Amino acid sequence: MLVFEGVFAGYGGGDILRGVDLVVEEGSLTCVVGPNGAGKSTLMKLVSGLLHPRVGRLEFKGRSIARATPRQIVKQGIVQVMQARNLFPELTVRENVELGAFLVSDGEVVRRRYAEVCEMFPIVGERAKDRAGSLSGGQQRMVEFARALMTDPVLVTLDEPSMGLEPRAAKIIYDSIVSMHRAGRSILLVEQNVRAGLERATHGVVMEAGRVRLEGTGADVLANPQMRALYLGGTIEEGRVASSTGVGAGAAAPPGAP
Amino acid sequence: MLVLQGIVDGILAGGLYALMGSGLTLVFGVMEVINFAQGIIVVLGAYLTYVFSTHIGVDPLVTLLITIPIMFALGYGVYALLLRPIKRDRVIMSLLVMYAVAVVIEGCLDIIFGGTLVQVHAAYSTSSIHVAGLEFSDLYLLAFGLSAVLLAVLYVILYRTKFGRSLRATTQNPTAAKLVGIDVDRVSATTLGIGVGLGAAGGMLFGMTESFNASSSYDLISRLLVIVILGGFGSVWGAMVAAIIMLVVEDVVAVVWSPVWGQTVFYLVLAAVLMFRPQGLFGRLAVRAQ
Ligand SMILES: Nc1ncnc2c1ncn2[C@@H]1O[C@H](COP(=O)(O)OP(=O)(O)OP(=O)(O)O)[C@@H](O)[C@H]1O
Ligand SMILES: [Mg+2]
Repeated sequence: MLVFEGVFAGYGGGDILRGVDLVVEEGSLTCVVGPNGAGKSTLMKLVSGLLHPRVGRLEFKGRSIARATPRQIVKQGIVQVMQARNLFPELTVRENVELGAFLVSDGEVVRRRYAEVCEMFPIVGERAKDRAGSLSGGQQRMVEFARALMTDPVLVTLDEPSMGLEPRAAKIIYDSIVSMHRAGRSILLVEQNVRAGLERATHGVVMEAGRVRLEGTGADVLANPQMRALYLGGTIEEGRVASSTGVGAGAAAPPGAP
Repeated sequence: MLVLQGIVDGILAGGLYALMGSGLTLVFGVMEVINFAQGIIVVLGAYLTYVFSTHIGVDPLVTLLITIPIMFALGYGVYALLLRPIKRDRVIMSLLVMYAVAVVIEGCLDIIFGGTLVQVHAAYSTSSIHVAGLEFSDLYLLAFGLSAVLLAVLYVILYRTKFGRSLRATTQNPTAAKLVGIDVDRVSATTLGIGVGLGAAGGMLFGMTESFNASSSYDLISRLLVIVILGGFGSVWGAMVAAIIMLVVEDVVAVVWSPVWGQTVFYLVLAAVLMFRPQGLFGRLAVRAQ
């Protein structure tokens, strides 16, 4: 449903992404891992429209979103929770969550969804009137998730949602990701905690130095001996893990190849 | 009694400066643009009122119905055409752009009106009422009242409308605002329109309380910037409090000591505040999440 093909992108001072090929299948929970600076957040900014590819194809449901603005992307049903600082700290929790439905004009729909996310994330209802900035890191994540669901997105993209959380809070976050996935949403997850991310993923992707180096099912990628080399500081040969699902086959082929 | 009169005068005039300064601080809050042209915008508003009231005979208050929309369009256009295209070094580049806008407007006003000082006159601009030994000039009461009304309208826009919510969201976290689908460029253009419109409304009142020419903008912008610094960049509430402090200090010093020392004493107060609160009275350090 989301396709990267030969994507190069950067911030004006040289390319950070150097030929990314990646397919996020509908209904998948695709988890991207990789060392710091690999370009994972840069990849996510392309999906949210904060950054545009310099060259390459970027499509969602068969339509190019390479030049789309964040607003147009939200309208197409993609939502993003950034790596850090997603909230409006001086607004109340309720205002923050309601802003998730900024583009929904039907007040009745907004009220219904708000009630739904309150049920899913009780903290939203409990702290509705408090300044969002006064919540703990884990609680803020919940509010960010709640806000993301206000658009009823088809693809939820999450950049290191467990970052900086103690294990119990991280567990709650992982559980809510899994339940979003079970509810039928496709998920693109970037995760620093390799095991926690890949164990839950249907599809695993390893990025390094601006390229996809390895992909397959979450379990296969996790079991791959090359992962060890990567996380001990080495680099790995480009390749694909033998994957029983065949998901992502061809994604490592050069752009334009048949 | 003199001191009390000084306080009253200061509060009344402070309301007007709060109005002019609120436009400046609002714009900074949303887009980190220091609108150096706000001083000349006030003067432009004053001249527009002057032309409509003196040459066409419209009551100064009614001219607001014409000048506010014109000035809103000017602010919106300046953002859309000149500020939006800036891609890097936004803070410094936008300051230069607004400086250029100020110079162009000042030049035009100078050519059209020359350097002669003028003032807007209205029937109510000379009378005053006396209460408990204090004098309240009708004009300053009007200025204060109208400023209060316009600031109340601003409050309602900011806190009771969907646009206001998107404006406050943009101020606090522009990136997150984009990700929920807020059109940050449209919010910014509208905000500059509002800021310039408020400046022009202040200009109508300024033109009635003082005689002015194009060069009056320099004294104005330095006062407005100081108000915004004291109140805290981006804080509308801070600008209101700071404006009143500034004018009260000046007016009290003027009556108990000498008008010459009014500004100096105020700057000492400012320096003292900034030593303890470098972010200003109501400002926050590093307000923004980038
Ligand atoms: N706004 C920016 N301007 C310039 N360079 C940037 C910017 N953001 C990131 N970079 C650079 O891009 C490279 C990749 O950064 P990115 O944030 O995509 O990495 P990441 O894989 O998300 O890392 P992490 O695991 O630390 O989050 C880094 O070298 C970084 O310095
Ligand atoms: Mg990152």
